[in-house]
Amino acid sequence: MHNVRTVIGFTLRTKMMTKAFFVTTIILALIISLGVNLPYIISLFSSDEPTSIGLMQGKDTKIEQSLEQYFAKQEKSDLKIVPYANTSEAELNKQVEDGKIEGYLTLEAEQAGSFPKVIYHGEDELGMEKQSTLTNALTLIKTEWLVKDSLTPEQIAELSKPVSLDSKTIAKAGEEAEENPANKGISIVVVMVLIVLLFMTNTMTGNMIASEVTQEKSSRVMEILITSVSPLAQMFGKIIGMFLLGLLQIGIFLAVVLLNLMLPHNAGPLKELNFDISMIDWSVVGGGLLLYVLGYFLYATLFAAVGSIVSRTEDLAQAIMPITMLTMAAFYIAIFSVSTPNSMLVKVTSYIPFFIPTSMLLRIGIGNSAWWEFWVGVLIMLVSVVFFGWLSAKIYRTGVLMYGKRPSWKEIRKAMKAYKI
Amino acid sequence: MKPLQLQEVVKQYGDKTAVNGLSFDVEEGEMYGLLGANGAGKTTTMRMVLGLIYPDGGTIQYDGKPFHSGLSRIFGYLPEERGMYPKIKVSEQVTYLAQLRGMSRKDADSNLKYWLERFNVPENYNKKIEELSKGNQQKIGFIASIVHKPKLLILDEAFSGLDPVNVELLKETVKELRDQGTSILFSTHRMEHVEELCRNLTILQKGKAVLQGSLRDLKSRYPREHVVLRTSGAVEGLQSIAGVSDVQRTDDGYRIRITDEGSAQHILQTAMTQVNVQQFELKEPTLNEIFIKAVGSESNA
Repeated sequence: MHNVRTVIGFTLRTKMMTKAFFVTTIILALIISLGVNLPYIISLFSSDEPTSIGLMQGKDTKIEQSLEQYFAKQEKSDLKIVPYANTSEAELNKQVEDGKIEGYLTLEAEQAGSFPKVIYHGEDELGMEKQSTLTNALTLIKTEWLVKDSLTPEQIAELSKPVSLDSKTIAKAGEEAEENPANKGISIVVVMVLIVLLFMTNTMTGNMIASEVTQEKSSRVMEILITSVSPLAQMFGKIIGMFLLGLLQIGIFLAVVLLNLMLPHNAGPLKELNFDISMIDWSVVGGGLLLYVLGYFLYATLFAAVGSIVSRTEDLAQAIMPITMLTMAAFYIAIFSVSTPNSMLVKVTSYIPFFIPTSMLLRIGIGNSAWWEFWVGVLIMLVSVVFFGWLSAKIYRTGVLMYGKRPSWKEIRKAMKAYKI
Repeated sequence: MKPLQLQEVVKQYGDKTAVNGLSFDVEEGEMYGLLGANGAGKTTTMRMVLGLIYPDGGTIQYDGKPFHSGLSRIFGYLPEERGMYPKIKVSEQVTYLAQLRGMSRKDADSNLKYWLERFNVPENYNKKIEELSKGNQQKIGFIASIVHKPKLLILDEAFSGLDPVNVELLKETVKELRDQGTSILFSTHRMEHVEELCRNLTILQKGKAVLQGSLRDLKSRYPREHVVLRTSGAVEGLQSIAGVSDVQRTDDGYRIRITDEGSAQHILQTAMTQVNVQQFELKEPTLNEIFIKAVGSESNA
């Protein structure tokens, strides 16, 4: 136990003091701050003044009038219609060049009885958002124009309202009634955060663990280490050290996010979300963290074992590929199943060791799994951590003495026998 | 109770026998030499002693006990390829390795400072290994293996790659540790180091001990075959003395090879009748000669 602590301390000290750690942490923190403040930064550059668009009058007075009236009635719109009577296209083009208006609209009459074609003239295209505002307005005007006075304004309003389709789950006997949707939304966020967190820690620290072990091996420090500490203590010391380092880094990032959110200009959007700390389901957070820690250890032991087999850092990326694939598969299965947490795929994978941390989390967070199912998953995870930890320690113990080309599984088994490990 | 005792130790890798029935023991305060060509089984033997790999046959005992985890505290090990973290500061890694062997960080740090001072490299305390010259890296590796005051020190080719001044420095240190009671197992293919430092030795060839015993015994077992003669002038008729196989003229005398120790006296008598003899010596065989005789021409050491 004393030795495990020494290894943890050494791992933390030597990793934390490196330039690489400082630089990546600072760069990522900067990117995160930028990301959090991005909406505010964008809002600084875009003015609240609506865009002025000219309207050439004289083609179809009625429609032109209703278009003007429509935008005049809107309290908040990013478009403003400026009518131009008796003006030629050349003069309007001049207005656009001078920056008085962004562009202008012309109506072109089709055959009698049909709605005229609307054409936008401008230096640039109108852009998705403004185009859809304009299309909505024109559609409404077209409806009014078609039905004339045969419908009341209420009926017209009803006509333009989209159909709403809600789904409601039927509570089975003995189960709790459907929780309130806002809480469920928060649960989804918690689950997603934990899944992304696990994926990030696994890829970041997993690679670090594997390359650390390979470096120790290629610099032959390993021979001295193995004669002073048991491989199990050494491996777990390193894994725990890296875990703490990863937590520290994630802690820094979370603090950066929180600090940025607390800045006064970000207070508004947060309030709009209507977030309240009491809405978090702490049992999901607790269960998720348990799965997270177990998942980390399962993957980390494998990364260490693979690192110990390889003699040169150049061969490492290829060797850890299968594990990287596993982490990605677990991540994507969960991410793509967020809307269908009770599917067969999620159910099956929630009992397979490498996928339990993400799939089971999804089920307890958003799906409708019973708590005993969660504990079965945790038990499977515990057993696999112990099993793969033991296996990895054996591979580690054997691998660190094998130099040269990457050995095959057969050679490792043979070596295990030869070394009596 | 001997600090280290090997009995009929066998190690096989597949169908290749790396070490075959090796036995020897190391006393307290003794430096034991393992000699042999490359691939003779020196490193395998050392790794078995360290518990890195386990013997297929025979026993290794430490103070009469089999291998146990507590031994890590009394071991000191300098592997052939040094073994240091290239990107980590000297102070950090040496204290770490000592801590793993059960020494407190503070003691390890003050010991490290003492040894750096002793080896005239105190400025390396805060440097990374990769910034140091090869010789200095080796000094640090050596310090790392002794900083925790081991009782059983295992040095694999400790002096290779060092300049003569530093070899002397390390030799002095090793002798001092030996005199303080450290048992040292020392491997090399440089005969003169063993001749100077070790009382007992084993010469290995293809995993087998071809010669074993104390240096004095081994030397007395081999006949003395060289006569060094320094004279004031030329000596006639040395060739014709019975038992003389070869005569070589040096700048101030002769180097004579004999097949029978008895002929040495005849050489002296012949010389004294003709000139002034300034030096006459019947030379002991060097370990190098013994090694070549024992191992034969198959060796490439």
